[in-house]
Amino acid sequence: MTHPSEPRINNDLLRPLLLTSWRFYLLIALFGAFVLAGLVAWFSQMYFGFGISGLRWPVYWGFYITNFVFWIGISHAGTLISAILRLVNAGWRRPVTRCAEVITVFALMIGALFPLIHLGRPWLAFWLFPYPSERLIWPNFRSPLVWDFFAINTYLTGSVLFLLLPIIPDFAVVRDKSTGLRRKIYGALALGWRGTPKQWHRLETAMQIMAIAIIPVAVSVHTIVSFDFSMAPVPMWNTAIFGPYFVAGAIFSGIAGLIIAMAVLRKFLHLEDYLHPVHFENLGKLMLVMGLLWGYFVFNERLVTYYGNEPAEMAVFWRTQRESFAPLYWTMVICNFVLPLVLMGIRRFRTITGCVIASFGVIIGMWLERFLIVVPPLGAKYLPYSFGIYRPQPAEIAITAATFAAMCLLYVLFAKVVPIISIWELKAGEHPSPSLIPPATEEHPLGELHL
Amino acid sequence: MKAVYGLYPDGQSAQQAFNRLRAAGVATRDITVLSAQPMEDFEFGNLDKATWMWWFACLGGLLGMSAGFGLASLTETSWPMNVGGMPVFAWWPNLIIMFEMTMFGAITATVATLVVSALLPNRSRTLYDPEVTEGKILIGVENPPDGSIPDLERTLGSPLGARVKTV
Amino acid sequence: MAADLDRCTGCGACVVACHAENNISTVGAGQAAIGRAKHWLRVERYWEGDFPNVGLKFVPVMCQQCDNAPCEPVCPTYASHHTEDGLNAQVYNRCIGTRYCANACPYNVRFFDFFNPSWEKPLQLQLNPDVSLREVGVMEKCTFCVQRIRGTQIQAKAEDREVRDGEIQPACVQSCGARALVFGDLADPESEVSRLSRSPRGSKLLEDLGTQPKVNYLSRQSQA
Repeated sequence: MTHPSEPRINNDLLRPLLLTSWRFYLLIALFGAFVLAGLVAWFSQMYFGFGISGLRWPVYWGFYITNFVFWIGISHAGTLISAILRLVNAGWRRPVTRCAEVITVFALMIGALFPLIHLGRPWLAFWLFPYPSERLIWPNFRSPLVWDFFAINTYLTGSVLFLLLPIIPDFAVVRDKSTGLRRKIYGALALGWRGTPKQWHRLETAMQIMAIAIIPVAVSVHTIVSFDFSMAPVPMWNTAIFGPYFVAGAIFSGIAGLIIAMAVLRKFLHLEDYLHPVHFENLGKLMLVMGLLWGYFVFNERLVTYYGNEPAEMAVFWRTQRESFAPLYWTMVICNFVLPLVLMGIRRFRTITGCVIASFGVIIGMWLERFLIVVPPLGAKYLPYSFGIYRPQPAEIAITAATFAAMCLLYVLFAKVVPIISIWELKAGEHPSPSLIPPATEEHPLGELHL
Repeated sequence: MKAVYGLYPDGQSAQQAFNRLRAAGVATRDITVLSAQPMEDFEFGNLDKATWMWWFACLGGLLGMSAGFGLASLTETSWPMNVGGMPVFAWWPNLIIMFEMTMFGAITATVATLVVSALLPNRSRTLYDPEVTEGKILIGVENPPDGSIPDLERTLGSPLGARVKTV
Repeated sequence: MAADLDRCTGCGACVVACHAENNISTVGAGQAAIGRAKHWLRVERYWEGDFPNVGLKFVPVMCQQCDNAPCEPVCPTYASHHTEDGLNAQVYNRCIGTRYCANACPYNVRFFDFFNPSWEKPLQLQLNPDVSLREVGVMEKCTFCVQRIRGTQIQAKAEDREVRDGEIQPACVQSCGARALVFGDLADPESEVSRLSRSPRGSKLLEDLGTQPKVNYLSRQSQA
């Protein structure tokens, strides 16, 4: 396998920043149109009233909360995976980490928008913020939604910084390679980076601390998202397994999102020399493990409910297993378990194409999983007289589609202004001097890793 | 600013230049080293390694935890509200707030330490050459004493592949 | 509150009275059909037994004013909280519409305002001045007619006496022709509602969830 030389790394990875083709504008226009449609839907929801959504008594949470949980789940792609790979010093992580961290930041921004979109009175959302109002009314710290606020706040701050810190040296590279206004802007963004040993050490120490801090934060965020459900006495919600179940599902869908993003970047930015099949294969293995873990949690959840045989829970149980939600349920099982197990379990299918197909399956499956957690229990809560149904309306579907477009839009824009593969980390990985590294910390060169 | 510096193609030659500068009597803290990647395999890449950042991170975490505890406990007790028969000051939910604030404090303290200790102070020392981006390693002396420039140029130029510049 | 299911005829007068007293806006046939009607009090109808021996049971269900109310701790802004006299308060102005309380409520007695309320003329003239209107995006629910409770308490205080048992009548209790609903002070062991709550026929709705509801249902014994 060829290793790109240092000037080539600069050229290849800076090319998307310095050259812009018509396809870029086309993509922006396409995704922008979807995002605009979503914004129109949101504003008309505020203007005409929340009733234009499909929510109704007693199913008061629907697509919006599904999307919230889904996007917060996707956000576990990045920071968590890249933090773990950094801490164990996996050499193959170098071209992958930034793609992943970007997903985290944008998915988290989109996910954090949904609690606002779903509010009856979103203009009063600032009441969740602990500020000394004139009557000194504070938020209720016993409410899981306030925990959400704090957790997402910490995670968003952490992952934005986690993304930005290793970009600083790359901003310096762009500064040196460009002219005019762009040079000034990137010069300011580089924060006076020169590359002294002190700066490198401080940066690496900071990244190490951040990596250690961000892992428990990421786990706590999705656990707290699961608390939104498990703290309420709703059949099939009030269960202790939700915390780890949600975290595993989040990492699972996060890896799938990362594989899709990497495959797209590889194809359109011609990064074949940087994102090798081995990266996809390794992530595919990781996805396989998470898929098995997901299956294990679902099995536990279902079996315990079945043996508990509590009437209210069984009503929800049969609704999903056999009755109205059964088609969605079994699609979810196929997408989340059967498909990844087959494609990722058999080495011959663990190609880039195979990984991408499995990832699309997992994305669909995980979205359905969240939908099936949110809606069926609310529609079948204890008193049979108050059972109800839910049908999503155009506003909700438009906003849901808009968030996927927003993710793509933000990703395209980001890849336009920041090198999507960490230049300095790649260089550091390409130039180990073997004589000076003790064997225990030797990194596996790309392509020679056979687990 | 006056400066003499050499650009070196690899770590070995940069290390030679670094060693010779010190042999010529230049104090280690006066030598500027710039590289496009961490060079921890070489001695010159291991300068200024000691840092208090871990302690600052812990301190930030501690501050965050106290802030979280203070926020939750003071607001709950200053206006007691009964919700669902729970205690007014409830430990379990407050632990969650404290945890998130601890992490928030640690993260922001880490980044603040990085910015203050490694990024901002560079305003006074500005020696730089864009060729560092291409993979060259820069070893140089900023504001050398008058008359020492020819000696420094000779010293810096001795390793193989060196290119010496004076500005 | 106590509800004697032996007496309830399922006439629905309480539902109408509740709408009138509490300014609950009607949402129109189309919205009601998809499940957005806001009946703070509803009469649930259950068929019991197999044909031809079928029995009919009516259960009036309103907010159970639980002591350990699941709706309260989940509210991030304290819009839903417990008052000192044990009522489940819902502060409309403080509500931001997360709808979490409605999801947490096992009885499904909380309702969301999907649109701003409106009344066809001249219906706006019958609005109750003692009850605030709710704008779009907030939750609302049965208050046990808190405006009547407070009014009577103030009246009693002005006359320098205790509130008499049965003096406070929420709209549903007042309108119940069969006297199936009884309201009073559960803390007073002598009140009629306390007496009924000790009845061997008494039970509470979904009691095993641990919500400690304050409405006693006296089970049906006669056949009809």
